[in-house]
Amino acid sequence: MLDTATVDPGASGVIAGFDHACLSHDDHIVFPELTLRIQQGDRIALLGRSGVGKSTLLEALRLRLDDQSAWCPQANALVPTLSAYHNIYMGRLAHFSRWQNLINLLRPDPTCWQEISELADTLGLDGLLRRQVDQLSGGQQQRVAIARALYQKRPVFIGDEPVASVDPRQGVRLLDLINARHQTCVVALHQRELALAHFDRIIGLDDGRIIIDAPANELSASDLDVLYVTD
Amino acid sequence: MSRTEAPAGWFSWLRGDNVGARLLRLTLAMIAITLLLLPWADLSITTHDPWGELGRMLKGMLLPDITATESPLRALLLTIAFALWGVVLGIVLGFPLALIFMRSRLVRTLCAFVRAIHELFWALLFLQVFGLSAITALAAIALPYAATFAKVYAEILAQIDRRPARMLSSRTDRLSRFVYTELPLAWQRLSGYTRYRFECALRASVLLGFVGLPTLGYYLESAFRQGRYHEGGALLWAFYLLIALLPWWAHRRLLVPWLLGTAFLLGPWPSVNPTLLWQFLSHDIWPQPLLSGDIAALPGWFSGLPDLLPAIGNTLLLGLMSTVGSLLVALLAWPLVSRHFGNRATRTLGRSTLIVMRSTPELLLAFILLLLTGPSLLPAWIALSLHNGALIAFLAARHADEIRPGLPDIRGINLYSHELLPRIYPGILALLFYRAEVIMRETALLGMLGVVTLGFHIDSSFEYLMFDQAVALLMITALINMGVDVLSRRLRPDALPERRHQPRPAPVGDSV
Repeated sequence: MLDTATVDPGASGVIAGFDHACLSHDDHIVFPELTLRIQQGDRIALLGRSGVGKSTLLEALRLRLDDQSAWCPQANALVPTLSAYHNIYMGRLAHFSRWQNLINLLRPDPTCWQEISELADTLGLDGLLRRQVDQLSGGQQQRVAIARALYQKRPVFIGDEPVASVDPRQGVRLLDLINARHQTCVVALHQRELALAHFDRIIGLDDGRIIIDAPANELSASDLDVLYVTD
Repeated sequence: MSRTEAPAGWFSWLRGDNVGARLLRLTLAMIAITLLLLPWADLSITTHDPWGELGRMLKGMLLPDITATESPLRALLLTIAFALWGVVLGIVLGFPLALIFMRSRLVRTLCAFVRAIHELFWALLFLQVFGLSAITALAAIALPYAATFAKVYAEILAQIDRRPARMLSSRTDRLSRFVYTELPLAWQRLSGYTRYRFECALRASVLLGFVGLPTLGYYLESAFRQGRYHEGGALLWAFYLLIALLPWWAHRRLLVPWLLGTAFLLGPWPSVNPTLLWQFLSHDIWPQPLLSGDIAALPGWFSGLPDLLPAIGNTLLLGLMSTVGSLLVALLAWPLVSRHFGNRATRTLGRSTLIVMRSTPELLLAFILLLLTGPSLLPAWIALSLHNGALIAFLAARHADEIRPGLPDIRGINLYSHELLPRIYPGILALLFYRAEVIMRETALLGMLGVVTLGFHIDSSFEYLMFDQAVALLMITALINMGVDVLSRRLRPDALPERRHQPRPAPVGDSV
């Protein structure tokens, strides 16, 4: 059973925040003046066109939260020549000693194997743990990336389009699983229906600014159209 | 108002500032300089019946006599043993160096220096201390290979995808980071390169026979030198079989059995006298005036060196001629093995010809040609051009095979000149300049056969036990090679980017 750790949120319940911060990516300023507070327990969907700065914001959050956050990048951050098991195990590399890691590479640790195969079962990856990652389908690779984030057992989940290449029904199941295992979630998405149905707070980005920041139950799908208008 | 452009003149293609024009200028300049200097090259044929000799050699190749050599199997296995253990020791030494290669200028310089001296020269040096022993053979292969592995492994590791490493927690230790996110990504290229170097090591191991170690080369040299061509032919066939069957006998699964099995073959092990070793290192290899502190006598010692200028001139000239020769051979030969030309039969024939040219060690090829022509630059030039040209032709053909011509109907020379060559030529030149370093190293080496390059004087200095002189000449050779390496890296096409409008960012880690 994976248990959930807690973050000490400080008096106000804010676990991460930006106050008139300037965020940049590759020497290029993306957010000139960003103000944002993330409370413990928030379930945030991050929406916006591609290239609008979702990944930059997630990266900055990840650095702020450091070891409080489980990071689920896009599937291309997997190591294609290692097995699915080893890719999931990598979530906790820092947790084990270097010698344990080295031995595990040659002969999987039985306890870790047990734990990871249970996790894989819940994600529909049963029987695929020994398979090299580049032999898995895009959807399977994405589930391996999610499994790795879950295996980190951290209170805050940060995901960059974690359900982009799985079918909608499975996407719902995966988001539920992520929500169940983490107190706080910040997830970039491109399916706005999923965002409205499964998250409490919607943040919409455009042109280096936050143009929507509201509870999901106060918004409708048409309110979000403004994010995808190209002028 | 319409303005008609004047038709392009003959030389207008050379003037542009695009990559194509620059490569064309570079190529024509190299060919022009070579032609200009050619009258100074000694290309004479001094034997009186070269064609008859060639006929006898071919007859020997066609009718090999496998019973003539006393223990061919032992020579074959010893060749494998030296190559295998040499490469393994090279990896053991080179891999740790690869990890600090990019960070340490000292390591980079040291590796460049060690690489600049050919395996056979290292063998000559170690021979003075360890005699005809396994240590000499293994050190001669392992040392320069370690330097090469350090450089190439470091380059491969620098090119891997960094994204998987970035997702790890910042507290992950260095070793785990390396074995989980860097090594697996680089593994395929690392092992592919190591496999290629093993083939090179087999050739080097054969060549060790030329200094007297009992590998295949030893028997090959004596058979050819004494005109026993049927025996030489059999040994040569054995070597080609060894290379051709490499994928089967050198399978990854057989690595451990081979290592254990050949370990018992390695030998003889020398008894090293520490006093003599110390005497060699501290005294014999240093110029006498330097040891006695008599700096004033140093110019006198220098003037005692053999006439260096002609040797250096010959070395450089042969290097340039062979580079241009390799280019011409490659340009003519790559269509022979490309899917775009000929039919299955011509390609098979072309392939086997090129494989033979590529797998024969240059020194051996030059040695055989030298028996035909006598000692001049001619056999060395032909041998280096054929070997390196065939090697480049293979890679160029592989590159061309990936291209699908834009116009489906054109064939033959039109296909060659309009669709394929313009696309693969930058690649061919890049390979050529990579190879130039190797060609330079071999140019010096060919002196051992009597061609008056630097290697000739190195070889004879060792023969007369003038170690101080031999080591000084080795240093000069290494410096020249390092200089040529720097030059060819500057000229290499991937170092010739389109002129940019923005200044390039300073490389990370370089102090300003």
